[in-house]
Amino acid sequence: MAFLELVNVSKAFDQVEAVQSFDLQVKRGELVSFLGPSGCGKTTTLRMIAGFELPTSGTIRINGDDVTHKPPQKRNAGMVFQAYALFPNMTVGDNIGFGLKVAKKPAAEIKKRVEEMLALIHLQGMGNRYPYQLSGGQQQRIALARALAFSPQVLLLDEPLSALDAKIRVQLRQEIRSIQQKLGITTIYVTHDQEEALSLSDRVVVMNNGRIEQAGTPFEIYNFPTTQFVAQFVGTLNTLSAQVRDGASGKLVVDRQEIQSAHSMGGAHSGESVSISIRPERISLLSEGQKANVMECTVENITFLGSIVRIQVRTGENAFYADTFNNPFLELPKLAEKTKITFSKEAVLVLRHSVVSGG
Amino acid sequence: MKKVNIWAWIIFALGMIYFFLPLVATLDFSLRAEKDVYPSFEAFRVVFGDPEFYSNFGSSLLWSLLTIVVSLLLIVPTTYWVHYRLPEWRPFVEFITLTPFVVPAVVLTFGLIRLYCCDPLPLISSPLLLVIGYVILSFPYMFRAVDTGLRAIDVRTLTEAAQSLGAGWWTILFQVIFPNLRVALLSGVFLTFAIVMGEFTFASLLNWPAFGPYMEYLGATRAYEPAALALISFALSWGSVGIIQYLGRGVTGGEQLAGAR
Repeated sequence: MAFLELVNVSKAFDQVEAVQSFDLQVKRGELVSFLGPSGCGKTTTLRMIAGFELPTSGTIRINGDDVTHKPPQKRNAGMVFQAYALFPNMTVGDNIGFGLKVAKKPAAEIKKRVEEMLALIHLQGMGNRYPYQLSGGQQQRIALARALAFSPQVLLLDEPLSALDAKIRVQLRQEIRSIQQKLGITTIYVTHDQEEALSLSDRVVVMNNGRIEQAGTPFEIYNFPTTQFVAQFVGTLNTLSAQVRDGASGKLVVDRQEIQSAHSMGGAHSGESVSISIRPERISLLSEGQKANVMECTVENITFLGSIVRIQVRTGENAFYADTFNNPFLELPKLAEKTKITFSKEAVLVLRHSVVSGG
Repeated sequence: MKKVNIWAWIIFALGMIYFFLPLVATLDFSLRAEKDVYPSFEAFRVVFGDPEFYSNFGSSLLWSLLTIVVSLLLIVPTTYWVHYRLPEWRPFVEFITLTPFVVPAVVLTFGLIRLYCCDPLPLISSPLLLVIGYVILSFPYMFRAVDTGLRAIDVRTLTEAAQSLGAGWWTILFQVIFPNLRVALLSGVFLTFAIVMGEFTFASLLNWPAFGPYMEYLGATRAYEPAALALISFALSWGSVGIIQYLGRGVTGGEQLAGAR
């Protein structure tokens, strides 16, 4: 049985439908990310779960209890905000113990719990400091501890790492995941950062225009996108224009060069123009070993991205990327040089309308 | 070595002269109450020896305390709610609070007298009408002080954070929001206090004892005592500003406006 359940939830602001027919079931202890661009409705959905927004229609249940019309105070849902939202007039200890104090727990119990929470987030001995005396990363860890201290049923995180620098972000997201797994708390995590969503989550819900585009494991979302939006939003995607040569055998022509796809063409007939997509990491230089498809191209640009080198190539009308792992002995082609790239038949996805066929 | 900007010092000195010369002249005049005696504190002795001074000062103290209470009860929740739920209403509320700057006190008082002279709300003989007038007079100062304080904190997020932790409205206001408005509230309170203590028009036209009309009466009938009273009045205002400064000491940066010390 689902621990957190959203049934046909919609939210409209005036005439604008921010969230439409949102259905989701989250298991106890699961971490589900809402991923999407700005304005896709992910934060509105989270705020409806928290009780800050009332759905226009639909039902929200936590542990079988209909909380749709319950105020936030009665939902027992801990929330972590992008802007930390620590109470500036209170010490770290008072911030963490606030929820317990409101629940009128004994002072000794609050003190013990605050110490436990400080140990959990590795900030022992900082209970007497004030929020302004802490770094952004420390403040967000305190905000997490505060949200967890009163043992909520559900933990809600609204882009908690957006205000932090890249290194702290990576470190803290691992910490959040580790704490979430340790406590086994059901968690909803809102982010627009695909890397964050893919690395943290048990499941990712990709949203666009107030609707769920696809929900699945990070592996499924990345490797088997079911809509063009998901394919383009998650990861980097090359989209090329091609003509079908033989739909039955998966043969296509891209800039007068024949390639083959292992996937269905969805009934496309010979001569029809289609879009195909290939992930950059599935294209390699021919010198690294040949695969089913080989194409001649010209090198237009080479970008060093640390562990990856991104090579932009052109085959005629189409320009796209090929990613190769960086290694000091790698012989990279020169700019404007003719070279050959290769990729498997399975790497070629045929896009028709907004639905991707195959994966 | 750091170069001294002589022009900055000249402008600063001119400013100081502009502000302090009238005060020094007033002090000098107030110390000449007795012939051939300088300095003479006779004017101050007369003022402090006058029972009317204490009765009027006491009345103004009472009016100002009542005004502060009513003003806080009216302005603080309204401004909080405007920040939290109705931000689009802020320009309208701000406009309303500017009333005392737009409508002269005399016009405002006669408006109040006409409206509340008879049924259904005959408040003309009640000091409530005076306090209502003073509350209107304090609008721009109290609203701006509270508004500035609320702008310095993320009201909405702090409120929602407290709600998610189970807090009700009372806890949110008194444990989360108000402590973070300490300096702003004190500013509003002392500005209101200073304004009401020296106010003349409302008290005079509504015929209530107050420090303002007393100063005016003394100014019309005595020579040196009004100068002494003016200095006492200045000291009162400066004292209020000094208390605001003292209680708001150590405040650094917008985000830490409320920060605990």
